[in-house]
Amino acid sequence: MTIPVTEASCKAGIGLRGPHLAAVVASPPAVGFLEAHPENYMGGGPALSALERLRRDRPLSLHGVGLSLGGTDGIDAVHLSRLAALVERLEPVLVSEHLSWSIVEGVYLNDLLPLPYTEEALDVTARHIDQVQARLGRSILVENPSSYLRYRHSTIEEPAFLAELARRTGCGLLCDINNIHVSGRNLGFDALAYLAGLPAAAIGEFHLAGHSVNQVDGQEILIDDHGSAVAEPVWALYRAALTRFGPRPTLVEWDSRLPDLSVLLSEAAKADAVMAANLTEAGNDWAA
Amino acid sequence: MTGLRELQAVVGRAVLGHDEPSLGDVIHGDGMASAARLQIYRHHYESSLAEALKAIYPVVCRLVDERFFAFAAHEYIKASPPRRVCLHEYGADFAEFLASFPPCREHVYLPDVARLEQQINVSLHSPAEEALGTEAFLDVALGDYPRLVFRLLPSLRYLESPWPVDRIWLGQQEGREGAVDLGEGGCRLEIRQRGEEIVFCRLDDRQFILRRALLAGETLESAAAAALATDPMFDLAMALRRLLAEGLVVGFSLASPSSRNPV
Repeated sequence: MTIPVTEASCKAGIGLRGPHLAAVVASPPAVGFLEAHPENYMGGGPALSALERLRRDRPLSLHGVGLSLGGTDGIDAVHLSRLAALVERLEPVLVSEHLSWSIVEGVYLNDLLPLPYTEEALDVTARHIDQVQARLGRSILVENPSSYLRYRHSTIEEPAFLAELARRTGCGLLCDINNIHVSGRNLGFDALAYLAGLPAAAIGEFHLAGHSVNQVDGQEILIDDHGSAVAEPVWALYRAALTRFGPRPTLVEWDSRLPDLSVLLSEAAKADAVMAANLTEAGNDWAA
Repeated sequence: MTGLRELQAVVGRAVLGHDEPSLGDVIHGDGMASAARLQIYRHHYESSLAEALKAIYPVVCRLVDERFFAFAAHEYIKASPPRRVCLHEYGADFAEFLASFPPCREHVYLPDVARLEQQINVSLHSPAEEALGTEAFLDVALGDYPRLVFRLLPSLRYLESPWPVDRIWLGQQEGREGAVDLGEGGCRLEIRQRGEEIVFCRLDDRQFILRRALLAGETLESAAAAALATDPMFDLAMALRRLLAEGLVVGFSLASPSSRNPV
């Protein structure tokens, strides 16, 4: 059985993290969906069994961090096979990855490094997305990165790069609102203009998360550390995204300085309220 | 223009901590040093891997204290960058690193504590499988028993140490803190998943030798011979009943009569 995408309701979901797993299993929260990193469940064991049980009653999204879609090493065939096995076993409603690279010369850098936005990078990334989608037998969502640097020889704006990837490969886009805010502040671009450059029809999911504000080399740098509540400017940008794209499954991520599950759930409830208010303001245009 | 492969090689080496004078040629400073921007990624690379090691080796960390563990992790990460994507698979040879790490020379038991934690971690991420009951062997002729090759629970691991690493590990758990006499001798441990948790227990020499040989894929005849060499009075039938009763056997095959290898 495969749940169609529409079953990933627009009710907000939460990122499922190891320390919350027991509490979620003991008392499954009434969230729209759960999102898990597949890399944490490759192999097997009690955590995978628990995820499988949770999956029976609610939609699941698998949000990968390790495919290195823009890496010139190519897609790791073993990793892709492990992902395919998990997708087959868990039948997630959404599968997503990042517009980034993380493997070079066989070393995994455990980060989502930004790409130079060039025709070459576009070709490489599109080819890898095609490969992944062919192996999984389904389309994936590709997430915009949070960035702390840009390359001198980029020739394409990031939203245009993402739009072209979607056009070439048929992939959807995961619009991470916090990442747009963080990158916009770090690299000096306008977040609303960025939203305007994304193709509405390709947007399949929103992400919300917290970030920290730091001083680096005398400049303010926002770090996408997923370690705090969603900041007010990010909520404002989320409202703008809802107005532009309409409601989409929305996920609240929290990875570091993990709070009690109830805090995460209240953030998800806030996302629901923002989405509902936007629907009302839009005269339910999007509900059709 | 720098090609994508060349750019990723330069940035990758910089993330790993190598000097890359050409960074400024590929990264905009935007009011900062290019290296300072790259340092954000380098910091995440190292701190996230150190966190991953600490999650796998919490008792080693407690035994040596956080600062020393951070130092050891830093040196290990420099020597052994990850080659696999799943972080729970990182640091599989951390015990060997500690064994050859001069500042750990006095902590002679530390590598074996790390080996125990690594085995616990592997066990935790192993698939569960249904165990076979005795009825699964009804069709095996008695004369074929020596050729039996068991497939044991995927989470099963065996560890032998000249140190009481099980008591050291337990002594570092919350509410069970206590001193351990290193002179009390070593242990032979069986580690496995049981339900939602990982458990380990001591085995006597004969059970340990038998089960470890079976896990390694030896025939029942060969594994039994090794156990009987330790104790000719070893009750093999009882040992096999225990193996099945404890739910450790998930499959079996028969080695060919000539090679004694599984067919």
